[in-house]
Amino acid sequence: MRQERLGHVLVAGGGITGWCAAAALKRRAPFLDVTILSCAPSRHALADRIACTLPSLLGFQEDLGIGAADGIVRAGSGYRLGTLFTGWASGMPNYVHAYGRYGASFGATAFHHHWVRAAQNGAAAAFDDHSPAAVMARAGRFAPPTAGTPFADHEFGLTIDVGRHASMMRAFALHVGVREISGEIAGVTLDADGGIAMVDITAGPALRADLFIDATGPEAKLRSAIDDDRDDWSAWLPCDRVLIAETRDDPMVLTTVTVHEAGWRWASGVQSGFAYASGAISDGKAARVLRNATGAAADEPIRVRAGTRPQPWRANCVAIGDAATEVEPLEWCNLHLALSAIDRLITMLPSRVPIPVEVAEFNRQTLAEAERVRDFLAMHYHTARRGDPLWRAIAAADPPASLAHTLTQFAERGRLPFFEEETFARDSWAAVLIGQGFLPRRVDPLVSGVPAATSRAAMARQAAAIAAALPHVPTHAAYRAAQTRHLTR
Amino acid sequence: MPVAAESKLKVVIVGGGTAGWMTAAALTRLLPDHCSVRLVESEAIGVVGVGEATLPHIRAFNERLGIDEAEFMARTRATFKLGIEFRDWGRIGDSYIHPFGTFGRGNGAVDFHHYWTRLLREGAPLPSLDTVSYACSLARSGKFDHPETDRTPLSGTFGYAYQFDALLFAPYLREIAEEGGARRTEGMIANVERDGESGDITAVVLADGERIGGDLFVDCSGFRSLLLGATLEEPFVDWSQWLPTDRAVAMPCRTRTAVTPYTSAIAMPAGWRWRIPLQHRTGNGYVYASAFVSDDDARRALEVAVEGEALAAPRVLRFKAGRRRRSWVGNCVAIGLASGFLEPLESTSIYLVQQAITTLIELFPERPIGASDRDEFNRVIDLEYDRIRDFLILHYHATTRDDSPFWDLVRTMTVPDSLSEKLDLWRTRGRLVKYREGVFLDPSWVAVYLGQGIVPEGWDPRVDPIAPDALLRSLETLRADIAGDVARRPDHRSFIERYCAMAQAA
Repeated sequence: MRQERLGHVLVAGGGITGWCAAAALKRRAPFLDVTILSCAPSRHALADRIACTLPSLLGFQEDLGIGAADGIVRAGSGYRLGTLFTGWASGMPNYVHAYGRYGASFGATAFHHHWVRAAQNGAAAAFDDHSPAAVMARAGRFAPPTAGTPFADHEFGLTIDVGRHASMMRAFALHVGVREISGEIAGVTLDADGGIAMVDITAGPALRADLFIDATGPEAKLRSAIDDDRDDWSAWLPCDRVLIAETRDDPMVLTTVTVHEAGWRWASGVQSGFAYASGAISDGKAARVLRNATGAAADEPIRVRAGTRPQPWRANCVAIGDAATEVEPLEWCNLHLALSAIDRLITMLPSRVPIPVEVAEFNRQTLAEAERVRDFLAMHYHTARRGDPLWRAIAAADPPASLAHTLTQFAERGRLPFFEEETFARDSWAAVLIGQGFLPRRVDPLVSGVPAATSRAAMARQAAAIAAALPHVPTHAAYRAAQTRHLTR
Repeated sequence: MPVAAESKLKVVIVGGGTAGWMTAAALTRLLPDHCSVRLVESEAIGVVGVGEATLPHIRAFNERLGIDEAEFMARTRATFKLGIEFRDWGRIGDSYIHPFGTFGRGNGAVDFHHYWTRLLREGAPLPSLDTVSYACSLARSGKFDHPETDRTPLSGTFGYAYQFDALLFAPYLREIAEEGGARRTEGMIANVERDGESGDITAVVLADGERIGGDLFVDCSGFRSLLLGATLEEPFVDWSQWLPTDRAVAMPCRTRTAVTPYTSAIAMPAGWRWRIPLQHRTGNGYVYASAFVSDDDARRALEVAVEGEALAAPRVLRFKAGRRRRSWVGNCVAIGLASGFLEPLESTSIYLVQQAITTLIELFPERPIGASDRDEFNRVIDLEYDRIRDFLILHYHATTRDDSPFWDLVRTMTVPDSLSEKLDLWRTRGRLVKYREGVFLDPSWVAVYLGQGIVPEGWDPRVDPIAPDALLRSLETLRADIAGDVARRPDHRSFIERYCAMAQAA
């Protein structure tokens, strides 16, 4: 039996998510006829609105052939090495979650086990002192990975100018042959198989396609016409409102996330924001909190319903980004999940009529990924130690089983069990857990293969090498300026 | 910081075969400050080790224990193994290699097998699949060289394992273990003492009355499963409905043909036959289902099939496919055959031993033994067993053979859901269920699917825009590049002679 090849794909959604999907589909599967309905992005679509991104954005752009000149410099992005968390565990100093290794392993086991032993002996520096990227970020400096230096193997994300980045992606998509239709969705007609037959728009004829990509944000204007099944995660992720203020300062290489009794505030230079639980603070009061902290006025609050569709793909319609999964922007996963779904869709590109086993496999992987992102975010709350009622309640809730497993294993001996489709590396888990003072009860026995004094000396040597190399790393501003000069020369 | 002797965990290993001594060597080398190791074995009890083919993971194990490759190979009369040749599986007359390596160059945006599938489905004239895998080509040419550490060149697209004499491996590991302080006690176990309250094992009592107490008991007693099975009565999960072979007859012989850098698995009317060439002899065996062939007929079939003069009388082993529901119960961890059995079709026995040891070391408990270590150990080991099970079942099920009742049974049986989902995905469009953790990764599944004639109906559409003759041309370049490089590599036998002193042929 020959399967008919997929021909026409319609992407709905005119934000970054939609343009990324259209551009990637056309660029990586050029035989497709890709149309985008660039309807106005939902104001609640965090993937289309948050300036902070994870390293996966760079890989995504590289796969499309978008280099640093267009994808970073001309689009006005800054570099992000990680996030500084303040106030998450009372009495603990702030900590950095950077996208790179924490310590270099010596002996038979991971570095963090050595650190735990040193900490139990009362002889440990802060865990993030051992992360070259974290040290660089705290100093406000930036360099891409550079062989032969301690700063050789970190990753980085971008703080994007959302509007310029979307324009860049749009220009790229149109350049590679994506067809754009303007208009708004007026209605969706289903076919006899429960899929989408056509999409009515406000101006022009109805749109038909073999496959529909829903990038319209949490409203999921296409996908919700089929069903609205959702898994609810609000028991673990308390913030259901987000305020964003466009501050338009220089992007910061280290994003800050500071706890508030009703949620947390962040600042990235170009944006500031406040994610909060509507049960713990009124919208008006929340807006004042943000204004007092930043001096900038916030937009109307964005609604977040933490949870996911267990089946982002049904019949001939695939929901991506906020249309599939909604989580608060903590750890900046919104666009990441969208890009990951686009990648997955391209590597599992269906025939004209999708086959149920393939759809099920796509959904299995996508759900596994979303649930581990949920676990990583929920971990921040579950291990936070604060006295405020909201924080006490959320820390007392039973975590999801997969997170409970990770926490039990880490609490016992610092083990971080492997999960398929995990977004964050083991070092990221260790950075946050240790940063919040959630320490293993005992030291991994394998550590004893290296005497404590040897291990201490190795850690000191590593830290000294980082400190010695740091002054040679340019400041973030200097690095960006040099790059811009180089481009315009 | 050394730990005081009394706080060390007392580990008692019951059984001194490959599993027992691997465990003892690893514990003494890697956790010398955390445990003391005693091993009880009896020379009166035979060892199952029948000459073993291994998986590439064994190299990491040896390396971790500081074992030098050349010395290890000389001591165990080992040869190199680049994969397994399967003959007569999909249908009589077929032959393919499951390589420890990739097909193609292993670097494209779309997996190699999608191009292959398309050309196959379009009826293009294709060379043998072996010729477009570096590992397969090297194996078929009877050559060997160490892989490049850089994975970019074709000569870096493979790994390797060993074929060695398991009866020589255990004594070698015993030296390492005893050097590290493991204490061996000769004796038969007459009784196992348990704590009345917790049910934990407190001691094993030998026939001569010696009582050996401990904190953690490692059951390496083989099929008898003396502690986990016989004493703690952990139930056995029976998989014989999918893996119906239950006996093997084994017989070594002189090597008359080449010392191949691969193991062979030749399908037989009621099972399959192995051929494992070592430096000094060739191991042979027929794994069969006793419901379909008698012991005598199986023995005769093996005797007829072996290539050289027999070096020992044939002996029969009995087993059942499956595993204990849990491998670690209370203070007893079973490693190797005491925890479960999967037939040696994909050389997984020593791999499973190694994974159990590695996991035990990663989760090494303290007194009193906590549930979180035990639960995580069982989760990891169960997953290993279950995934290997599915991969083995695939070999039997993916066939058109209808020449014997045995093949009729396995061809038509209902397979586990986890496998039928994988098969559906593959058949539809050559999709693989992606795992990053687990023993058999994508190329292994591709090798068996294609090797046994399961060609997907569709392929990744990104392959379509390329003209067929352009694809054939790049395939030809690939084939020529591989053949050219392989031609320069040394012959397997001469490589071994140079690399590690080869024992005199028996």
